[in-house]
Amino acid sequence: MPTYAKRLASRENSSVRIRSVPLIRVLLFLILLALFTGATLTQALAQTPTPDTSAISADQVNEVARGLWCPLCSGVRLDACELKACEQMKEMIAIKLAEGANDEEIRAYFLEQYGPQVFGEPPREGFNWLAWILPVIGLLGGGVFVWFGIRRMTSQQAAVIASTPAQASLPSQSDNYSQKLEQELSRYD
Amino acid sequence: MLFNIGFLILVTALVLAGFGVVLGFAGGQQRNQRLVQSSFHAVYAVAGLVAIAAVMLWYGLLTDQFQLTYVWNHSERALPSFYKFSALWGGQAGSLLFWTLLLSIYSVIVAAVNRRRHQMLMPYVNAMLLVTSLFFLVLLVFAANPFKQAAFVPADGQGLNPLLQNYWMVIHPVMLYLGYVGLAIPFAFAVGALISKRVGNEWVRTVRRWTLIPWMFLSAGILMGSQWAYMELGWGGYWAWDPVENASFLPWLTGTAFLHSIIIQEQRGVMKVWNVVLIWLTYFLVILGTFTTRSGVLESVHSFALSDVGPLFLGFLILILFGFLWLLFKRLYLLKDEQYIDSYSSREAAFLGNNWLFTSITFATLWGTFFPMFSEILTGERISVAAPFFNKVNGPLFLLLFLLMGIGPLLGWRRTGVQALRQQFTWPLIAGVAMGVVAIFFSTNPWPSVGLAVCAFATATIVQEFVRGVLARRVSNDENVLVAMGSLMRRNGRRYGGYIVHLGMVMIAVAIIGNEFFQQTTNVTLTPGEHVTLGGYDLTYVALETNQEANRTEIGARMIIHDSSGKMVGSILPRRNLYIKTPDMPTSEVGLRMTLLEDVYVVLNGWENGGATATFTVFVNPLTIWMWIGGLVLVLGTLIASWPHPVKRTTNVPAGAAVAAAGD
Repeated sequence: MPTYAKRLASRENSSVRIRSVPLIRVLLFLILLALFTGATLTQALAQTPTPDTSAISADQVNEVARGLWCPLCSGVRLDACELKACEQMKEMIAIKLAEGANDEEIRAYFLEQYGPQVFGEPPREGFNWLAWILPVIGLLGGGVFVWFGIRRMTSQQAAVIASTPAQASLPSQSDNYSQKLEQELSRYD
Repeated sequence: MLFNIGFLILVTALVLAGFGVVLGFAGGQQRNQRLVQSSFHAVYAVAGLVAIAAVMLWYGLLTDQFQLTYVWNHSERALPSFYKFSALWGGQAGSLLFWTLLLSIYSVIVAAVNRRRHQMLMPYVNAMLLVTSLFFLVLLVFAANPFKQAAFVPADGQGLNPLLQNYWMVIHPVMLYLGYVGLAIPFAFAVGALISKRVGNEWVRTVRRWTLIPWMFLSAGILMGSQWAYMELGWGGYWAWDPVENASFLPWLTGTAFLHSIIIQEQRGVMKVWNVVLIWLTYFLVILGTFTTRSGVLESVHSFALSDVGPLFLGFLILILFGFLWLLFKRLYLLKDEQYIDSYSSREAAFLGNNWLFTSITFATLWGTFFPMFSEILTGERISVAAPFFNKVNGPLFLLLFLLMGIGPLLGWRRTGVQALRQQFTWPLIAGVAMGVVAIFFSTNPWPSVGLAVCAFATATIVQEFVRGVLARRVSNDENVLVAMGSLMRRNGRRYGGYIVHLGMVMIAVAIIGNEFFQQTTNVTLTPGEHVTLGGYDLTYVALETNQEANRTEIGARMIIHDSSGKMVGSILPRRNLYIKTPDMPTSEVGLRMTLLEDVYVVLNGWENGGATATFTVFVNPLTIWMWIGGLVLVLGTLIASWPHPVKRTTNVPAGAAVAAAGD
């Protein structure tokens, strides 16, 4: 999604750029893109002619693009991105499809070209494992904490009940429902 | 000259707010009525001054005072007055002033309502609300002056960001801010309770409504933002787990957890520490959210260093963090639980489960949002953390949460016996399983079926609760169905309003499942008269239509929609708006046909030769409208839950006397 935050931010600088991506990054990206596309095209031209992409429909390209993310603007899916660089990436998908590459091969190609940014999620390796593991640790740790917290409380309660049986007057389950409802409603009166 | 006075007014407000903070704390400590009275007056005076400053900036915007840098940057002569008015919150300095204005209004209402109540708490509440105002006034005076002037008067302004020139974008920030700012109130009460050592149920009972109302605005604000993204950004979706969206979602998560958690404290006298921590966390996330969106820290660590407001925000966040922890530590001895939890199969346990899941989702979302920043600082490499990460991590947690939303109301306080469990769970379980079995025929993917089954289970729980309540009233009071429904909601709006909010949430979940798993899309280039078919609809491109407005040209492609039987069902106009001031930033206005079942949603991507061909992306989005209907239901439920009770409560049943009913 061309996020409005970035658009707003770009507006803050009275700029008319669609997204506020630091200029240096854009330039770097474009240079890299030019180098990569240049290299790929030269290779392609040297070996085989550029495949005819006319048989590839926009839907086929978008099918692949929906699984990829704009490497410049974090959070924008490739099929929805209108940056020039992303248009070129989509053209590359069409070329790859025309060459007979499948989804996995195309994804691998973009991973190699642009790094893990294109998958929209941290790769499960090295430092980036932390991104995945910490939420799980948080969830499990919290779960254990709550579980034992309740257990501690219930055992304390059981001890209280055992020592003073008179207080252990849990209401019976068979009490009349409407009576209970009235009781509860009347508490607010 | 006038605007120099505006700046001076802000400076005066700042000094007064600082004075009011001292008055409040000192008045509370010394129990000095005169000081306390003065703290009330300080709240009113600060609000008055901030309101005058806001009116002056509005005046500047509406009368095109382009010598003001803010007006020059965010308005233009040709801008419709409506948007000139809303430009107050279109940029940094203005939106901070607007924040302060809303906080001042809230503070005045809190002070006026509680003038004679909560005498021990109010001095600190005033002081804490003024602390927040003080911080924002510091930002306005030292880092983001909305009255900054240029040496000359430019002929025209730069114009408002085209993306903000949309009805939803006018109302969405107002709602969001009302939610954000309002959550400062329960926090102020919590701090007041801790300082005054009145940590019982008094503050908890008082803040319930002061939390519900901001929560309602925040929910509505988030949904309106989604609506805006859906209508304006043209990618077929409504939520991207973008850092700004997450910033609004995080306090919503902890605020929702708090609303549930205070019920256990009220009923059973437990979770006292946790409740103050939760509301502090909510306040912290509100300030953090404002900080992240205003400082650009998540865009890049470097833009933070360049931002004027960033370091001040960071300082305030550190102050809130350590100030609160210190206070909590000093008062920990008072926050002992009065009761114990009896059993895992109790409503208390379900509420704890709710808090566990909400906190886990908050943590995962916070971590995912900030991970790129950590990664950049620690490894030098920026990693993109977008929807795939959040969907994978939070998706299963939300599924569990909705399951719990169905289970919770079926459990009684303290303990639920086996017989009651069977009696309570039979129908909801049948409904859930039946829905799952039906859904599996429509999808090879098991997840949407599981999701829909859980939604059906939760809905059946709510329906069962209403049916049982109504039947009981009919039997005992001989009321007809409508009267019985009415008296349930009037006399126990807290519970039945809450169920209605749950129903709204289920509707939103259904819309998300529909969109996430069953969306269809195609991309086509058409010449006039040509058509495209998708999801049983046939769309024919007719021609380009142009419309000239004061500050923009609207170019739309007319499309006629037929259904599968060939009947014409609608005519839509997906558009591009070209703004004179920003011609290279065309905005998209989708063409939309909404029905209860699905939306036909068309984006105009481009055209050639004056419309000889036009390119479209067509989506069929199932069930999307239920997200907006669910939002309305949620607001309605919140209003019922927070509506003042018809009869003043005369007795306070001690915690522990709560009936443990099967259907309680």
